[in-house]
Amino acid sequence: MKLCFYFQVHQPMRLNKLSILDFCKNGDLKQMYFNERKNREILLRVAEKCYLPTNRLMLELISKYDIKFALSLTGVFIEQCQEYAPGVLDSFNALAETGNVEFIDETYYHSLASLYKDKSEFIEQIKKHAKIIKRLFNQKTITFRNTELIYSNEIAGIAESLGYKTILAEGINLGWRSPNYVYRPRGCSKIKLLLRNYMLSDDVSFRFSAHAWNGYPLTADKYASWLSHCTGDVINIFMDYETFGEHQWKETGIFEFLRHLPAEIKKHNLEFATPEEIEMPPAGEYDAPNVVSWADLERDTSAWLGNDMQKSCFNEMEKLGALIKQKNDKKLLHIWRLLQTTDHIYYISTKKMGDEEVHKYFAEHQSPYEAFINYMNIIQHLKGSL
Amino acid sequence: MRIAMIGWEFPPLVSGGLGTHCYELTKHLSEKGVIIDFYMPKVRYEVADSGANIVPVAFTPITPYAYPKREDFFQKVISYNEKCASLVVKGNYDIIHCHDWLTVPAGIKLKKTLRKPFVFTVHSTEYDRTANLFPWDRVVDIEKAGILHADRIITVSKRMKAQLIDRYDADERKIHVVYNGVDPRRFTGVKMKKPKERIVLYFGRLTVQKGPDFFLKAAKKVLEFENNVRFVVAGTGEMLTQLIDLTVKLGIQDKVFFTGYVSDEDLPKLYVIADVFVLPSVSEPFGIAPLEAMASGIPVIISKTTGVSEIVRNCLLVDFWDTNEMANKIIAVLRYEALDRTLREREKMEIMDKSFSWGNAAEETIRIYRGLL
Repeated sequence: MKLCFYFQVHQPMRLNKLSILDFCKNGDLKQMYFNERKNREILLRVAEKCYLPTNRLMLELISKYDIKFALSLTGVFIEQCQEYAPGVLDSFNALAETGNVEFIDETYYHSLASLYKDKSEFIEQIKKHAKIIKRLFNQKTITFRNTELIYSNEIAGIAESLGYKTILAEGINLGWRSPNYVYRPRGCSKIKLLLRNYMLSDDVSFRFSAHAWNGYPLTADKYASWLSHCTGDVINIFMDYETFGEHQWKETGIFEFLRHLPAEIKKHNLEFATPEEIEMPPAGEYDAPNVVSWADLERDTSAWLGNDMQKSCFNEMEKLGALIKQKNDKKLLHIWRLLQTTDHIYYISTKKMGDEEVHKYFAEHQSPYEAFINYMNIIQHLKGSL
Repeated sequence: MRIAMIGWEFPPLVSGGLGTHCYELTKHLSEKGVIIDFYMPKVRYEVADSGANIVPVAFTPITPYAYPKREDFFQKVISYNEKCASLVVKGNYDIIHCHDWLTVPAGIKLKKTLRKPFVFTVHSTEYDRTANLFPWDRVVDIEKAGILHADRIITVSKRMKAQLIDRYDADERKIHVVYNGVDPRRFTGVKMKKPKERIVLYFGRLTVQKGPDFFLKAAKKVLEFENNVRFVVAGTGEMLTQLIDLTVKLGIQDKVFFTGYVSDEDLPKLYVIADVFVLPSVSEPFGIAPLEAMASGIPVIISKTTGVSEIVRNCLLVDFWDTNEMANKIIAVLRYEALDRTLREREKMEIMDKSFSWGNAAEETIRIYRGLL
């Protein structure tokens, strides 16, 4: 059985505080909207805790055990690396050069553009991403995963028309069927669909350090044996790359787990493969008339479009597109696109406000209402500057 | 259970949250079978019926919040307390329960003579009422004595509890936090024709503690960006003339409306015509008005230095001194319909949550009483 690991790498460009009282001010819009100091600080911190040590370890595991996996880096992440930490890109390049790592495509801006009525923006962002991956890592991308695994029959159709051979999605709404097979999206004839095994993926990304979980502590041999007990053709383990050292701190033992995992996996009848190497024919058709994703428990778009405030920001941004494109100004276009990153709209979610811990966090940081006011202020300022 | 409760004001004529608190608390305690004799100054109007037995003590010139720092005033407080104590002694009570410093001397005396437990509810301290500017030592001393002698202290927020520990050396173990509530029925179903202008409402005593001057400074900034808006300052207090002068100085006198005293009956109507409610208190132990505004369904902006901000979620918070941010948030509520709608929907749901009910406050109070018997 094949074992397909895929990791997502992303950091948003965090926003500055912009008050309506500052609306009369002029200046460089990018400097006004984005918090450069904070973005640098966070990127350098996560590089130190996660990207650099994880890349080092992966390189070691490739040479020792010939492991294979897939990565996708958002354009927003790449730009910040270019500016603040070029060494991080070098370390990803070292992985690319081994030939064991497949770089896959997504939207350059980690956006919700796939949900716009007019899909041309979505397609432009995918193409822009493919271009930068080719330029930086010298790989022609043939696998696509949409932002936050947002997926539907329509999105699969677009990926197929763009020539992708494989697309990734969340393994839900399967009924009695297993995610451990290759599927064919409904309405498509060529593209293959790999579905995330969310139980086994979340065992690492969410539950690894949860003391209350009955699988705790999760050791490499235990996890490898769980994998080996699966039936099917391919187990798809997809998660954020930041799982290593950032979501799960070094102290949880996550790096030790990763270090020992390949040797344990090799003891079983399991074989590492990248998405492009999954060659089995589809076991069946997968139908997603409605949009699904890997976010929250709902696994839909409610993390970003769950309340009126989020919807109004989304609609404003979508409407702004036509005006921006008329301007034919590359810099302006880039700023509007940077503002499309899902994180900005995710902070406006009110879903978790009932949670006492989260409430305490909001009280000290930023409530969904504050996040809305700031994001909307920036959108309105951008609109006003056109 | 028989309680002698000593207060000083009761609806319909109230000058602050304390009158409302005493009415609602005695009402819900009575409903739960607690017998209450409520001692208060004699008044010339008929007080509301809460189920408690009102015992008028004597006519006094006491105004609970704004009082002159004069010896004759102080003597009148002492004399009220003596008369009060001489009446309470004749009754047969399980517990003596006092509200704020004005009734503390009677509470301490009765504890000694009757040998009954003394419960002291602190609604505000001298530091709160003076916004930390010029607290009167004589009042602080009485508050200290009350805090020392009380068997149990009830505070209306964690913020107040922390203040009593820090500034009054209170024994943490005897302090219980019991939040105020709101009766949403008073504020729902009220219908009024909306004025053409958008209304930004301040409601509270016009005193340095509540920060109405910050409200006006924010108004000035809002008006630089929004024209069709009027600022309503509702309530009375010693800062009235100073505030009127300030509107002239800021050049916004044609955009600010002072209502004067607002009756219990008019208050729900005032909330309904408002588009946003602002309370920029410098130091607010609790703050019932924001809960009322939320029950009325209007978006609420409150300072972080209010006790109520410990328990509400669907409101906007600001620092009381940050009038730029206050203006930013006022304009945001006025301009962004989605924000306005989401706040209205979610705050109403939140208010229906029983944790803000007076019934809950009464139950917690009974639990405190029981612990003393």
